[in-house]
Amino acid sequence: MTARYRIADDVAWVSEDGLDVGDVPTAYLARVPRGMPIMLEGSGCVVWLALAEGGTLEEVTAAAAAMSDADPDQISADVADLVDQLVVIGVVRED
Amino acid sequence: MTQEADARTAPVAARVHLAHAVVQKLAEDRGIDLLHLKGPAVLPGLRAEGRQSSDVDVLVRPSHLPRLVTALESVGFEQRTDFATGSVFAHAANWWHDDWGWVDVHTSWPGVGVDAEVAFDVFARTRVQVPIAHWDCPVPDRTAQRLILVLHAARSGGTTDVDHAWTAADPGEQEDVRRLARELDAEVALAAGIGELDLHRHHPTYRLWRYFTEGGSRLDEWRARLAAAGTARARAELLGAALRVNRDHLRMELGRPPTREEVRARQRLRVRRATDELASRVRRR
Repeated sequence: MTARYRIADDVAWVSEDGLDVGDVPTAYLARVPRGMPIMLEGSGCVVWLALAEGGTLEEVTAAAAAMSDADPDQISADVADLVDQLVVIGVVRED
Repeated sequence: MTQEADARTAPVAARVHLAHAVVQKLAEDRGIDLLHLKGPAVLPGLRAEGRQSSDVDVLVRPSHLPRLVTALESVGFEQRTDFATGSVFAHAANWWHDDWGWVDVHTSWPGVGVDAEVAFDVFARTRVQVPIAHWDCPVPDRTAQRLILVLHAARSGGTTDVDHAWTAADPGEQEDVRRLARELDAEVALAAGIGELDLHRHHPTYRLWRYFTEGGSRLDEWRARLAAAGTARARAELLGAALRVNRDHLRMELGRPPTREEVRARQRLRVRRATDELASRVRRR
């Protein structure tokens, strides 16, 4: 069965949409109540916003590519790396 | 393409949003009743666009305060002011966290006259959920938020909040706010916020709200507070506090705990200021 990824239940986050700061897409997140704040900038933020919709790695990659006008094949390895890191630190769940 | 980094330098707005979620999660885990106020908790249209808050404000059910204090301190918040020294109304205290900044915990709202536990029930019974940092947080409904913002403006000055929360409301909405103010015994404070204070000239708190809206000397403030104090005991406590140094504020001013000598020096200054102010009034007469 293909794994699906989503933001973990204990994560609060805010992106520039809610902050109106700067030109670089940025998301700030934390596992609440004890986690430290984490910042995702640029393409990292784009992948995070794609993860907010949830989906398989292919779906997340496609959503990130659509948001950033990129070729899914060219970014898939980087997206997979970032998603892996986010799973390791517990802010993304793999179901 | 990954730029994951420690975000301790996150903009204030981001920290405030996340801090609301931190406090809400603590409340959920421990069955603590609280409402989020001001900043990102304000419902759309009730505040000027783009206005940002630098701290988190919550109103906690007074009987749940000890649980909230334990919860906050369990994740690293440190208390910096207590309820006696936090404000004129002894209604709030502050906690600080290196990642999340300031949290102001209110057990009552200045201007509300009914018992704080009852007031919390009134504010909470029509609460609505607002996502802050994608975390559902209970906030007062639109009518209660209008009242809260106007009462805050009455105490703190400034008309921007009143413009949005009161002047822009239609007559029906304003009547809803007046009805809520009557239920909460907050009519004098509401009147102070919307320019109708003179309708309450004979109320014990009239001078206090006039001081907040029009300003005055420290002596004016204390005379107004004495007039508003309901009992002889309350007046005696106020007189004692008038000349006592606020150690919490001195600590914040210095950025470290004050020494005994610094407290004494500030004490001497307070007494001298009070004496000078009194003398200048006598000379004017």
